[in-house]
Amino acid sequence: MEKKTEQYDVVIIGGGAAGLTAGIYCGRARLKTLIIEKALVGGLATYTNEIENYPGFPEGETGLGLMELFHKQAKKFGVKFKLTDVRGVQLEGDVKVVETFRTNYECKAVVLASGGKPRLTGSKGEDKYLYDKGISFCATCDAAANTGKTVMVIGSGDAAIEEGMFLTKFASKVIVSVMHEEGKMDCNEIAREEALQNPKMEFKWNTVTEEFKGGERLESVVLKNLKTGELDDVKVDTCFIFIGYLPNTEIFKGIVDMNRAGYLITNEKMETNIPGVYAAGDVRDKWLKQVSTAVGDGAIAGYACEKYIAESEQFENQIMAGDLPGLVFVYNAVDPKARALMPVIEQFEETHAGRVKVTRVDVYKSEGIANRLGISETPCAVCIRDGQKAGTLAENISMESLEKLMGLSLVESK
Amino acid sequence: MAEYTVDCLGEACPVPLMKVQKKMETMAVGDVLVAQIDHSCAMKNIPEWARNQGHNVEIEEVDDGEWEIVIEKTK
Repeated sequence: MEKKTEQYDVVIIGGGAAGLTAGIYCGRARLKTLIIEKALVGGLATYTNEIENYPGFPEGETGLGLMELFHKQAKKFGVKFKLTDVRGVQLEGDVKVVETFRTNYECKAVVLASGGKPRLTGSKGEDKYLYDKGISFCATCDAAANTGKTVMVIGSGDAAIEEGMFLTKFASKVIVSVMHEEGKMDCNEIAREEALQNPKMEFKWNTVTEEFKGGERLESVVLKNLKTGELDDVKVDTCFIFIGYLPNTEIFKGIVDMNRAGYLITNEKMETNIPGVYAAGDVRDKWLKQVSTAVGDGAIAGYACEKYIAESEQFENQIMAGDLPGLVFVYNAVDPKARALMPVIEQFEETHAGRVKVTRVDVYKSEGIANRLGISETPCAVCIRDGQKAGTLAENISMESLEKLMGLSLVESK
Repeated sequence: MAEYTVDCLGEACPVPLMKVQKKMETMAVGDVLVAQIDHSCAMKNIPEWARNQGHNVEIEEVDDGEWEIVIEKTK
């Protein structure tokens, strides 16, 4: 099968809260935007039954319901959606390529919002029973199938305890394996209190999983007591694992800077180490992973894409292109020394009108163009000839030195 | 390269996934299966399972809350 090629301004990898928000900002800025999501639009939030801390919804909202609203809003701004997984990326250079198994999407800017996936215990037998064979990561998905049955929950974080309580509405018994001392959990206080009072919940303190056992399907989980080393073979119908997440960054390895755990490193503008490539949401190395913080990341990344693309166009169409040689004056508007030079630039522009195209670039607003020109100090004058940087002048900027930089003789200028 | 369809409309998890798994067993490499679903959790477990098996997966949203999962059998 031959691969198709399609062009977009922005491609966003991942359709969770961060990706959808970036999409809303890009779409609203009238950029041709594509969001690629490998499964259900809404991402990890759709696995949560109840979201009560996302501002604006005092009555609470289901994860799926909230994400449907995000999706609708992105669609309203003309964002396109493709539901498939990304196979590879080429992020260097001006044209970036995002590959799926059928299509190569070419674009100017990319937002990496690929989120994470459930972390596994790594215990013996685990790989044999994943997903439909008895180990689940989604209570919302598999609770109904466990009506009247005995299930186990691994973990004691917010997700583990809240999903565990949700499961008690269906299962007859929910056994929770907690690695901490009796009474200690990683979840919030309110959830902890409620869970301890729930008659259908039974806690196995100081335990971790040792082995998953069964035939075709999972039949029991062997827990190991961390204190006594004792093994406890517990019969269960389904085991739900909620012990955190791992970032989906395998395809970015060796391309985008990441920390040891694989989370992508960005600055506060969501910029990665590659120009025009931004990261947002749970895939980023950050402190608090919530829908509300993902939304903030997405907004910044979307805005950054718009600025980056506008700057690229300005750089190519105004600064580097054209028949006339160009003089680019790079300055910082808050620097008095630079402001004092403005009349000189103005005089130069008037004197050589029709011979030199003068552009002013204020780094106070954005350093993007200065970076592209390789300028770190301001004020600075740059000569552009035939689409190339032909010279720079950082000191003693005057009418004479500018003319010399541009190769104009004084006689000619009269 | 044949194309098959399984209708899972109105069916809740884990039924759609089980239907897909059964059908895939009978198919040859290169065949394509289109699973019609309208239960959002099947959007999670079907693509996840199929990709874990190494198959190619693409999803089309045919209507609001109604999807077709296209799976190309690769082995």
